[in-house]
Amino acid sequence: MAQTSARKQGVGSVIWEYLTTVDHKKIAILYLIAGGFFFVLGGIEAMLIRIQLAVPNNDFLSAGLFNEMITMHGTTMIFLAAMPLLFAFMNATVPLQIGARDLAFPFLNSLGVWLFIFGGIFLNLSWFMGGAPDAGWTSYASLSIASPGHGIDFYALGLQISGAGTLITGINFATTIITMRAPGMTYMRMPLMTWTTLVASVLIVFAFPPLTIGIFLLIFDRMFGSNFFIVEAGGNTIIWEHLFWIFGHPEVYILILPAFGIFSEIFATFARKRLFGYSAMVFATVLIGFFGFMVWAHHMFTVGLGPTANAIFAVATMAIAVPTGIKIFNWIATIWGGSIEFTTPMLYALAFIPSFTMGGVTGIMQAAAPADYQYHDSYFIVAHFHYVIVGGVVFALLAGLHYYWPIMFNTMLNETLGKITFWFFFIGFHMTFLIQHFLGLWGMPRRVFTYLDGQGYNAANMISTIGAFLMAIAVIVLVVNIIITLVKNERVGMDPWGDGRTLEWSIPLPVPYYNFAQIPLVRGLDAYWVEKKEGNGKMMPSESLGDFHMPNNSILPVVMSLGLFIAAFGAMYFPDGKEWAIDAVSGLDTKPWALPVLMIGLAITFVSMGIRSWKDDLGYYVTKEEVERDLEELERGGK
Amino acid sequence: MAELNQEPMTKAQLEYLRRQRTREMRQQLVSFGLMIFLTFIAFGLAGMEIIPAQFTIPIVLGFAFIQVILQFYYFMHMKDNGHQFAKLFMLTGFYFALAFCVTFVYIVWIGAPVN
Ligand code: HEM
Ligand SMILES: [Cu+2]
Repeated sequence: MAQTSARKQGVGSVIWEYLTTVDHKKIAILYLIAGGFFFVLGGIEAMLIRIQLAVPNNDFLSAGLFNEMITMHGTTMIFLAAMPLLFAFMNATVPLQIGARDLAFPFLNSLGVWLFIFGGIFLNLSWFMGGAPDAGWTSYASLSIASPGHGIDFYALGLQISGAGTLITGINFATTIITMRAPGMTYMRMPLMTWTTLVASVLIVFAFPPLTIGIFLLIFDRMFGSNFFIVEAGGNTIIWEHLFWIFGHPEVYILILPAFGIFSEIFATFARKRLFGYSAMVFATVLIGFFGFMVWAHHMFTVGLGPTANAIFAVATMAIAVPTGIKIFNWIATIWGGSIEFTTPMLYALAFIPSFTMGGVTGIMQAAAPADYQYHDSYFIVAHFHYVIVGGVVFALLAGLHYYWPIMFNTMLNETLGKITFWFFFIGFHMTFLIQHFLGLWGMPRRVFTYLDGQGYNAANMISTIGAFLMAIAVIVLVVNIIITLVKNERVGMDPWGDGRTLEWSIPLPVPYYNFAQIPLVRGLDAYWVEKKEGNGKMMPSESLGDFHMPNNSILPVVMSLGLFIAAFGAMYFPDGKEWAIDAVSGLDTKPWALPVLMIGLAITFVSMGIRSWKDDLGYYVTKEEVERDLEELERGGK
Repeated sequence: MAELNQEPMTKAQLEYLRRQRTREMRQQLVSFGLMIFLTFIAFGLAGMEIIPAQFTIPIVLGFAFIQVILQFYYFMHMKDNGHQFAKLFMLTGFYFALAFCVTFVYIVWIGAPVN
């Protein structure tokens, strides 16, 4: 109703539509735009870091600015780029894959995206408001409490806001997948994208609370005079490290599991074969998720936990390689003997296998605790996690962008430009990071803003920087590709890749706002493929045509997020100049307005929560007549 | 926009629902009574010091455990069907929480002096 008429309206109403939308397809686009923006921002920061390190004794960035740059690069890439971009693809595909009309809590879905956006903006405002955080993305407590000014406060408050959004979204996806699958979609018929989203969501539910607690303790220490991490006052700074890594290691699996899901779909589609060892894949996914919580202290081998603790965590870490290996072999067996089509997404998928495996192998090396004393805090670590995060997650994001683009925008990205992007990115990636393993083994420390001439680091660093420029070219070609595609706007029909296997490809494009006129009946794994091979190529409905219920749009999520955004400023300036405050801020001018701002912000959030709770919003019904009209139009329009 | 168009219930359905709810209510009241009772005993044991402290502590902890179970099963409906996932989540959560506590106690606080 509301949406059909919105199609012909002006810019203002389109913006209003996106501010208030609760539709998972539009929220996916919001995640994609915001995540893409932060990805470019993090990329620019990376380029500045690489320029600084290109030659010895460089003073392109000052030491302090360099620290801010690496901190913001890491934080932005993990929290504001990789995770939201994965949420974009989860939102775009998961409800369609399980045959649902939306997520379980559409309102919360919108709240999640706006919390993320406001948290991200808050964090990045630090650049303009007295300096960015500079204690690394891990923000270890002794360092972060000593850090002068408000940089770390931007980190803590910004991540707290966007982390709340992530937690909400995790709960939402887990609930959706558990309760809203179409008839016949048993657990063991769920596509792997759905499975990995489910496990990643569960990981979010268990992993984000420790981060929330850790950040709250940091906020209390920095802004409200507590002493959790302040050693002079009896605090214990190691607790931050534990809390951070209890979250941090599951976090890397929150990132990589959906990436595995995207690649599993791509392999099956473009090898035109059923995924090899489906049940082993599911088992491995769940097992990785479980083990992911048992290994966090491998980031802390050098802290001095003692040989027993180090040994236990080393063995647990190595155990994760087993399910990961199962997956690698299953992907290889999937493409083995398939009739492979070398599309852009498939190129990324093929490149992912060796690249990610290299990252896994260095992971195992680091898991050997005594050896890690050598690798720790050297460029070897930088090489390791970029091999897994770029070679795994970013490849998956780029592959998913090409693969799912038609579902999100009803057009196809240009394949030639896509392949140019791929080759630049692939070569640039290995050129940048392969050499960093050696830099690390030769002794170059990470997070140090320059190095001296004559240590043998010069050539390798220059190579690394050139590689980074190749990746930047790749991203520019990609942006050009996106702009050309959007301007041309050549619509494609249903199942544009021609080999779609799962439910999301069985829907007409553009996807109706209610997704399914009738909820389909699922008759097997790869539901759409089953109908192509055994039926008439159309999904059978599981219900008769009738009215169904849809949620109303709402502006409240934006207002709630805005309230927290305002409150964060109040909290941040509250300790300025107070005598009980930590040294980092006690010398600043007092800000008497800070407390009122904090309270006004919280009041905005709580009042809008109250409105949401007490004012009934029952949604509306899509009538049978409207759906019939849509179906007829589709019929007339042909394919 | 539109109202929820729900069908009115038949008489039999209504009857069934009513009986169901009465039973539910009875169970809740019983477990509520039991919990109050356990709380009284716990307070009594701690306050009157009739038995030595090293016995009181495990007894109170045991009562607390029983109360948690009652809470989850009768008040938060874990006994009903369709809560397998909730159970799985809680058990995993308990397990992780326990593992974290053990490692914290071992490697953050006790670990160092032992070495
Ligand atoms: C086979 C699987 C893996 C193993 C055995 C492994 C092992 C390790 C170890 C032992 C460290 C700590 C090294 C040190 O600081 O001394 C580490 C760091 C790291 N790993 Fe992995 N890892 C694996 C997979 C992944 C994946 C899939 C990701 C991300 C998608 C990832 C991201 C990271 C990051 C970001 C760090 C560095 C954190 C920091 O100190 O800033 N790892 N890995
Ligand atoms: Cu880890």
